[in-house]
Amino acid sequence: MTFHDAAAREFPPFSTDLCIKCNVCTTVCPVARVTDDFPGPKYVGPQAQRFRGPGVGLDAPDHSVDLCSGCGICTRACPAGVLIAETNNRARAAIVKERGSSLRNRLISDTDLIARFGVPLAPLANIGLNNGMARWMGEKLLGVHRRGPLTTFARRTFGSWWKRRGGATSLPATPDPSRTVVYFHGCAVNAFEPDLGRDAVEILERNGFTVIVPRQECCGLPFISNGLYEQARNKARRNLSSLAQFARAGYRIVGTSTSCTHALKAEYREMLDFSDGDATAVADATWDICELLLDLHDRGELDVGFAPMVEPLPYHPPCQLKSHGIGTPAMDLFSLVPGLRAVDSDHDCCGAAGTYGLKVERWQIAYDIGAPLFDKVRASGAARAACDSETCRWQI
Amino acid sequence: MPRADVVIIGAGLAGLSCAAELAERGARVYLVAKGMATTHWTHGGLDVAAPPGARTASDGIRLLAATHDHPFRILESDASAAVAAHLGRMASEGLEHAGSLDDPLGQMPTSIGSLRPAAIVPSAQAAALAPWDDDGLVLVGFRRYRDAWASYAARNLENARWPGGPSAIRAVEVELPDLARLYNISPQVLARLFEDSAWRSRALSAIADALPAGAWRIGLPAVLGRDAHAEVHADAERRLGCRVFEMASLPPSVPGIRLFEALRRRILSSAGRIQIGFDVVEVERSGARVTAIHTEAASRTLRIAADAFVLATGGLAGAGIRASHDGTLTERVFGLPVAAPPRGGWFSDDPLLPHPLEAAGIEVDATLAPAELENVRVVGSALAGMHYLDERCGDGVAVASAHRAAQSLLATRTVAA
Repeated sequence: MTFHDAAAREFPPFSTDLCIKCNVCTTVCPVARVTDDFPGPKYVGPQAQRFRGPGVGLDAPDHSVDLCSGCGICTRACPAGVLIAETNNRARAAIVKERGSSLRNRLISDTDLIARFGVPLAPLANIGLNNGMARWMGEKLLGVHRRGPLTTFARRTFGSWWKRRGGATSLPATPDPSRTVVYFHGCAVNAFEPDLGRDAVEILERNGFTVIVPRQECCGLPFISNGLYEQARNKARRNLSSLAQFARAGYRIVGTSTSCTHALKAEYREMLDFSDGDATAVADATWDICELLLDLHDRGELDVGFAPMVEPLPYHPPCQLKSHGIGTPAMDLFSLVPGLRAVDSDHDCCGAAGTYGLKVERWQIAYDIGAPLFDKVRASGAARAACDSETCRWQI
Repeated sequence: MPRADVVIIGAGLAGLSCAAELAERGARVYLVAKGMATTHWTHGGLDVAAPPGARTASDGIRLLAATHDHPFRILESDASAAVAAHLGRMASEGLEHAGSLDDPLGQMPTSIGSLRPAAIVPSAQAAALAPWDDDGLVLVGFRRYRDAWASYAARNLENARWPGGPSAIRAVEVELPDLARLYNISPQVLARLFEDSAWRSRALSAIADALPAGAWRIGLPAVLGRDAHAEVHADAERRLGCRVFEMASLPPSVPGIRLFEALRRRILSSAGRIQIGFDVVEVERSGARVTAIHTEAASRTLRIAADAFVLATGGLAGAGIRASHDGTLTERVFGLPVAAPPRGGWFSDDPLLPHPLEAAGIEVDATLAPAELENVRVVGSALAGMHYLDERCGDGVAVASAHRAAQSLLATRTVAA
C-alpha cells in the first residue's frame, strides 16, 4: 500500500489527487446515463474537490453533487484508485452541515422513528401508503414522490417477535463462536419485512447455528446517504457499542441486507470516521448472509437438501453488494437449488439508491436508471425476481 | 469462495480477450481487475503492428518479430488467428470492422489533425481509409462540445503531409439541438442523444444544412450511438448523402466503450464472471504453482482458487509494474522479476523518441509462462520487449498473447475445459 492509498483510506478526498481525468467514472455512472443535469462523478468529485475546504467555501463550486445517488460504481471503475463516491458523499455532508437539510430528508432518513409510529398504527398507516390521495398529499406536503418505492408496515416488529420467542440477546454463558451467530436485522426487517428475518433465523438454525439478536438500531445508511452525518454517527455509535463485544469474542455478525452489512463493514470507517478497535472488530466480523452460507458450503457444512424449484429467476446484484467485493454469492447458492435457472440482470443499478428514488425531484431519474432492469424482469416471464437489498426489491 | 478454471487479472484488451476465448471454449473464467483499463481511452480499432518502415501490419509483425526480445518473436504465428478471432467476436456483438493484416497501412486523421497509420478499423471509421480520389473532407464540430475542434484539426491536416489525401479540407461548426443549456457536453451524452431517432433527425438536418456543395466525406466526433451504433451510423450516411466516419477524441472514447462492452458481454454470455474494482492483495502458492489469489474487499478478502492464472495487468503505464524511487521495478501481483534496462539507461535524451524503459516487462517462454510460475501466463503490455507507442503494436500483442495463452492453457489441459 502506498502512502497515498493509506492516507486515502483515512480520508477519501486525499485520493482525488490520483485522478488522471480519464472520465471512465462518468461513462459508468447510472445517473449521468439518464440525465444531463448531473455532470458526472469526475466533475463533482475530483474536479470540484479542489474548490472545497477551509477558506474556499464548503459547498463550492456547485450543488450538482447532490444528484449523486451514492451507488459507488464510479469508485470501483476508477483505474487510479480515487474514492470518488466517498468523496462526493462527504461533499454532500459538508453542504448539509453548512446549509442544513430539508425536513423531508431528515424524516425519510430516520427509519427507526418512522417505525416507532408506523408499526403500532400499521392498519391505518398502510391504508395511507396504499392510497393515491394520501400519497399525493405526501408528495405535495413532504416531497415524497407518490410513486416512490415504499412498502407497508408490519403489524409487529421483528424485535418484538424475537422477544416473545424468548430468543437470545446477549453473550451466551458457554461461548461457542463457531456455531453461534449474531443477526443484524436492520430497520427494514424490523419494521417492514419481519418475515425475511424469521426466514433468516430458520435457515441459520437449520444449519446448526444458535442465533443471537442483540440490541440494535438502523445502521444509519439512510442518514449517510442524505449527508446527515451527526445523526448517522449516533446510530453507528450505539450499534458499535452493542455489537463490538460479540465481534471481539469471535462471533460473526450476519445481515440480510447488503446495504446494512456494507455500512458495518465499510461506511462507518470510510464516511463516519470511526477508526477505533470497535469499528474494526465489527467490520471484520460482519458477513452478508449469502456470503456466510456460501462459506458454509465451501466447508461442506451447508444443508443442501433443497426442494426443486423449476423456474427462471432474474437476479439483480445491488450496487451495495458489488461494493462488498465478495462476488455474487447468491448466484452460487442459486446453483445449488435443483431446477432453478438464475440469471444475473447484468444491469448497473435499479435507481432506488435507498431514499434517492423516493424524492419527488429524483423519482424520474431513479425510474429511468432502473427501467431497462424492470423490462428485463418483465420479459423474463418469471414469477419472482431476487435481490439482496430491500429498497432495490421495492423499487424493482 | 469462488472457484474457477482460470482467473484473469486485468480488464484491458488482453485480459478481456483471453477471458472471452477461454470462456467460449468452455472454461470457467473469473476476471478480476482493480479498475477499468485503457479500453475507454482508445480508438476502438486494432493497432496490430505499424513500426516505422512497415507497409502492412503483417509487414510490421515480421519486422518486430526479428527484433531482439520483442513479444512478436513468440507471437508471430498467432497474430492472424488472433485478429480473426477478435474481429469475429466484435462482429457477433454487432461491431463490424474493415481492413486486414495485409491491407496497406492507411492514414487515419485524428482529432488534433495528425495522421496515424491504421489498417483494421471499425466500419464507421473505414471511410477515412478508402482511396480519396477527388473527394474532399469536411470536419464537423459541435458548438460548445469541447472535446473535438474541427477547425483546429482541419488547419493541422492542411499542413500535414497526406499523399493521396482529400482534395480539399473544410471545417464547419454546427449547433446541435437542445444543447444550449448544458455547460458540459460529454461524448456519452451525445452518443445517447444520437440513439434517439427524433433528436437524431433534427441533428442530422442541422449538419446537412451546414455542409458545402460538392463531393465530400464527413468526419464527425465519435459519438454516433453506443449500443445502437451501426444503425445510427447507417442513418447518418443515408441522411447526409455521403460517407461519414467517426474520429475518436479525448477520453472517454465511445468506440472504446463499445469495444469493452462487446467483450464483457461475450464473457458473461459464456458463463464467465467479472469483478472490477478490487485489487489482488495476496497470492497463495504451492511450489511453482499459484493456487489462489485474494482480492481486497470491504472486510477480509475474497479468495478465488483456480487451476491457472493470467496476468494482464499492463506494464509501467498501466500500473502492472511499479517503479520505486530507488529504481526498483516490481510486478505487483505475483512479484515476478522485471526485465529492464539499468536505472542509468532508462531514458533517451530526446523525450519524443522511444525510451529503453518502455521495454520493461516480464520475460516468458513460448507458452507465455514466466520461469518462476508454471501455471501463470503473461499477456499484453506486461510482456517485456516492446515499445508500443512507436511500434503501434499494443493491440496486436494484446490479442495475439491472449490467444496464445488461452490455447496453451486449453491444450496442455492445465485447464480441464
